[in-house]
Amino acid sequence: MGILIDRNSRIVIQGITGREASMVTRHTLAYGTKIVAGVTPGKGGQDVHGVPVYDTLKAACREHAPDTSIIYVPPAFVYDAVAEAVANGIRLILIPTENVPQKDAVKFLRLAERAGVRIVGPNTVGMINPGERVKLGAIGGDNVERCFVPGPVGVISRSGGMTAEVSWMVKRAGYGVSTSVSIGGDALIGSTIKDLLALFEADPQTKAVVVFSEPGTNQEEEAAAFILEGGYTKPLVAYIAGRFTEDMPEGTVFGHAAAIISGNYGRPSLKAARLKEAGACVLESFDDLIPTLKKILG
Amino acid sequence: MGRLLENHSKQLLKGAGIPVPAFEVAASPAEAEAAARRLGGPVVLKALVPVGKRGKAGAVKFAATPGEAAQAAGELLKMTVRNFPVEKVLVEEKIKIAQEWYLSITYDKSKKAPVIIASTRGGIDVEELSRSYPEQMIIYQVDPLEGLLSYQAREIWSDLGVGGGLLVSAGTLLSRLYKVFDQYDAYLLEVNPLAVTESGELVAAATVMSVDDSAVYRQSALADMVQLGSERAWRPLTELEKKMVAVNEADPYRGTARYTEMPDGDIGFMCGGGGGSLLLFDTLLSLGGRPANYSEVGGNPPEEKVYGLTKGILSKPGVKGLFVAHNITNNTQVDVLARGIIRALRDLNIDPRTFPVVVREAGVNDAVARELFLAAGVEYYGDEITMTEAAARMVARMREAYGAGERGR
Repeated sequence: MGILIDRNSRIVIQGITGREASMVTRHTLAYGTKIVAGVTPGKGGQDVHGVPVYDTLKAACREHAPDTSIIYVPPAFVYDAVAEAVANGIRLILIPTENVPQKDAVKFLRLAERAGVRIVGPNTVGMINPGERVKLGAIGGDNVERCFVPGPVGVISRSGGMTAEVSWMVKRAGYGVSTSVSIGGDALIGSTIKDLLALFEADPQTKAVVVFSEPGTNQEEEAAAFILEGGYTKPLVAYIAGRFTEDMPEGTVFGHAAAIISGNYGRPSLKAARLKEAGACVLESFDDLIPTLKKILG
Repeated sequence: MGRLLENHSKQLLKGAGIPVPAFEVAASPAEAEAAARRLGGPVVLKALVPVGKRGKAGAVKFAATPGEAAQAAGELLKMTVRNFPVEKVLVEEKIKIAQEWYLSITYDKSKKAPVIIASTRGGIDVEELSRSYPEQMIIYQVDPLEGLLSYQAREIWSDLGVGGGLLVSAGTLLSRLYKVFDQYDAYLLEVNPLAVTESGELVAAATVMSVDDSAVYRQSALADMVQLGSERAWRPLTELEKKMVAVNEADPYRGTARYTEMPDGDIGFMCGGGGGSLLLFDTLLSLGGRPANYSEVGGNPPEEKVYGLTKGILSKPGVKGLFVAHNITNNTQVDVLARGIIRALRDLNIDPRTFPVVVREAGVNDAVARELFLAAGVEYYGDEITMTEAAARMVARMREAYGAGERGR
């Protein structure tokens, strides 16, 4: 089980011939995840590590019926790539690209929402379901098992790098992950903490969820409200990084683009308070994650 | 987000057909005097600094004569407003205001849409507006795919009780403002006050605009108006920070190396990525460590970038140790980090046996990194310890080297 992806996922990579996409393709295939096709306009007929490349997603869809796409294109072309994916019936889109203009992001997020298509990202390092040996994106690099082994813990992280570190801490505690998702560091993203908590709630493999948070946005506040409404009932452990930023002058941006504090909006201390009120365990020290998980999972 | 100075935002609004007061920019009292003479009549002088709430900071003055304008400009040019020294002032005609309204456009991150805030009360900040006059304020979400249609702009003002000829001109002004917001990839565009003059015209009396850094690549007209990196600081960039921006921009498409100077501190902080740095900085502080800077290094940077940033971090006066740590990397090659860092230490004749250096780097090619760091005499850890444990080692090394005594201040 796990959420969003499994061994039946039919994965296509838009922009597959680029430097990073090609490396990710190699690592992903080596891990055992199948990639059915790639798309790069003008490079149809080539292949990348054995994956056939098409000029258009439409052509790739005719041959391979993909349902999941990873978009590895520069910021200026992300909107078009998402529109192409939505038009061709893709159901799940992962966008690793960083520095996507906000104007484009609100447009493609709305486009996908209207079509009922789920987006993860932008600015995500990817997601992984180790029980099914399926991963999307660079997550895990060339040494996936160092951090990601199967188990009962769902991981949601606003930081790509910390998605790996949190999953490694879960492994160090003696467990593994059902699915780890880097949701993206931008202010405007397709799937929020709350959205994924709803999916982890429905996943029988997931017994608890760990969230890595940062200053900015009101995702944690929304998640807390969702828990209080009864939308998520399993144990939740959260670490909120960037407490020092509260002592910095207003308007200062540290970390990801979303990590901006204005007034009381986005403050780590208030996020922690809301999550605690909702019954979540909010960690003081990141190392407390290990004993906390042992206590929860036994 | 990159902030624009008010003369720039007013210039953009004016170009879009939105009435703004006649204005000039002056860098000296004499220039201000001449500007006031050309504008004729009473003028308003405002410090040109990229921060809001200038009125509260005393950075807005009125002058009835060119002589007064010179004096007011002289006072403003001596000021520092929220860490920004005033180098130029805006001199503009003082319009005869009958009513002050409020109008802004920004993004609602939860609703994932542009949002318009409009009110027939203005001249106060939006927080106070929403507290005191919520019933006289409209918050309107724009469909990002359709944009703002003319009738929608009119409905907003009509719902606020505006009618007649003023409704038509307010609708047109809002439509044009939305066009500016959209066309220039603005992140925030605020007109406060939006003045209704005694003769019944609408004038954008004061404007604030910031643009999306991620879109600067397609906004060549704004290139000279926005300083790169300005969105990350609460004060002008320091000389060292400007150097570090240059190090990063020298190879803009490979990896990131961001640097922010902190007041005081003795631990050079060479960490990443976005979330990892936040965690490590918090952890050092909670253990009693005093980082001298903040940094974020990630996205698989080339050796030269790592080398330049490390040298910069170590060049800050008072830095007496170096902490190098990341989360376990997905794609950053830590052997490349090792090469850049070790080269910087060598060039600065720093011996990591006496000058505390603690490294926790695990991830791509870490077996090579381990050999390189150990050969250089650096206290190195991979994934045998956690990030928190590494921070504790750093603080312990500082205590061992320099004692606990001076840390108490």
